[in-house]
Parts: sequence; C-alpha cells; structure tokens
Amino acid sequence: MLQKLAGGQEVIEVTGTTTGECLEDLESRFPVIKQMIRDNRGQLRRYCSVLVNSESTHPKELTTPVKDGDQIDIVVFFGGG
Amino acid sequence: MLTKNDLTRYERQILYPDFGEEGQKRLKQSHVVVAGLGGLGCSASLYLTCAGVGHVTLIDCDRVELSNLNRQTLHFEEDIGEGKPISAARKLTELNSSIEVTPVFKKITESNAREIIKGADLVIDGMDNFKTRFILNKACIAEGIPFIHGGVHGLFGEVTTILPGKTPCLACIFPEVPHGKVTFPVFGVTPALIAILQVTEAIKLLAGFGSLLTGKMSKIVRSAGKRCLKMSINEH
Repeated sequence: MLQKLAGGQEVIEVTGTTTGECLEDLESRFPVIKQMIRDNRGQLRRYCSVLVNSESTHPKELTTPVKDGDQIDIVVFFGGG
Repeated sequence: MLTKNDLTRYERQILYPDFGEEGQKRLKQSHVVVAGLGGLGCSASLYLTCAGVGHVTLIDCDRVELSNLNRQTLHFEEDIGEGKPISAARKLTELNSSIEVTPVFKKITESNAREIIKGADLVIDGMDNFKTRFILNKACIAEGIPFIHGGVHGLFGEVTTILPGKTPCLACIFPEVPHGKVTFPVFGVTPALIAILQVTEAIKLLAGFGSLLTGKMSKIVRSAGKRCLKMSINEH
C-alpha cells in the first residue's frame, strides 16, 4: 500500500539517526505517505507499526536509534475481513 | 476411521504423497472455529468443508446485507436479513453432509472468547475489525490454540500463522489495538485469495505436513505479487 504511494519503490534509502528522523526524510519526499501513517497530531496511526530489523520499536516508534544499514519496515495492518 | 464414501470423496487429495489417508483421518478428527462469516470466513469455511474437516464452528453476530454479496460467497439474495452463521451453515451442510457444522449467532467478547474456542484445534481469523481480532488473538494464546490470521484491504491482504508460545502473535507487532471498525474498500477476490491461503495453512497444520507461515507475515500486494515480512516475538 505504501509502496504504491512511493511511486512503486519497495525499498527506499533514508537518512537519520532515529526512526522518527528517517520517517521524516521519507515523508518529505512522499508527503502522501505522511497522511497515511500519521494522524492530525502527527502521531503514528495505531494501525501502523515500525520495525527495525524485524524487531518491534513499541513504544518508541519514532525515537528508536538507528545506524547505517538498519532495515526499517513500516507495517500497515489490514483490518478488513 | 475413513469410510468408503470418504475414500471416494477425498480421493484426489489423499493422492497427495505427504497427506494420504492419515492426513485425511486427521482432518476428519479436527475441529476448526471460523470467527467471522464475511469475505474471509465464507471462503475459508467453504474450503474447510470441502477438505473434510470433521467439525466446523461458524461464529458471527451480523445479519446478511445486500452490500455483503460482492464478496461473501455463502450468502445469497434470499438470505438477506438472516444471521450469517445460519445462512452459511445451511450451504455447507448441503455441500458436505458428512461433517458437523455448528452455527453460533453470537458476538465475540473478552468474556466469552475463550469459552467459544475452547477445545478447537485451530481458529481461522475472519474478523472485520481490529478489536475482536485482538480479543481472539489473546484468547488463542491463553488457550494454546493456533490462530491463522488473515486481513484484507482493497486488493491487499496478509496472512500469518500463530502458534501460541512458539511464534510471534498480532500483539507482538501491534501492542496497542488499532482503533475501531472502518468500512474498508474490498473486491471479492481479495478475501477469497487470503482465505484460501489461510485454509492451506490449516490443512498443513492439522495434517502435519509442509512448512507454515510462522514467524513471518505474507503480504499480498494487489492480489498478484507478495512479500514476506519477518516477525519477532516481542513483549506486550
């Protein structure tokens, strides 16, 4: 879903020292992604989760430190049935 | 014990080398709870019934509406207004009278979830909202019952198999339950595709062969490509 909003790219290289900075870098390039993953107060929507190297970052979704080479996944939970 | 009719009816799947008569016996002895009789639950219960799972329990608290009919393939125009488990059970019993189908027209809550699933061999997630899905996830963990999660949105879907105590569960990725029930876009093909993957997982798990989608979530993209996301057990 997010891939479509990022022009079809599955993997995007971003810069930042925390997950929040990396997401801001991504959102600056693809503002429509910001609307999808954040609410009006700028908080991450609850149906989104951020993983670093497959590990949950909860409750530090936007403040987890990252280093060069880390993989950040933004997971959107599909709630329909 | 398989009957002569069983051996004929399930002949083509019994031919599958890793499955055989032993696999069929295991399906016959199994009890699966299908939670939700919407797009996912209709297709999942249909294929569980075809496969010869001995006991299928269908649970939902909604009644059939016209807007369901683009994807909920066990409900017909004449069923509008009827309880979904009743409508589905009637079709499934006509399809396979040799299995037991139990309709439960009830809402799943924190207080009754464990009782509803108790004794089942696995639970298929056919829910259409986050809250009940997480109640079921929690109940399955507490009861030690495998939970095969499926979710859809538009032409996207996801599947993972959760083995309590062994693999990550939904709360490992989403420690806080996402808000409320939304009316989501969906084509009928999407829940059908996801449900068939859920039932494939169920058959493999019940019969004891093949590898499972455990510790990873398969994300189906636009009902064509797919990507597997690694999952980890996390505190929640």
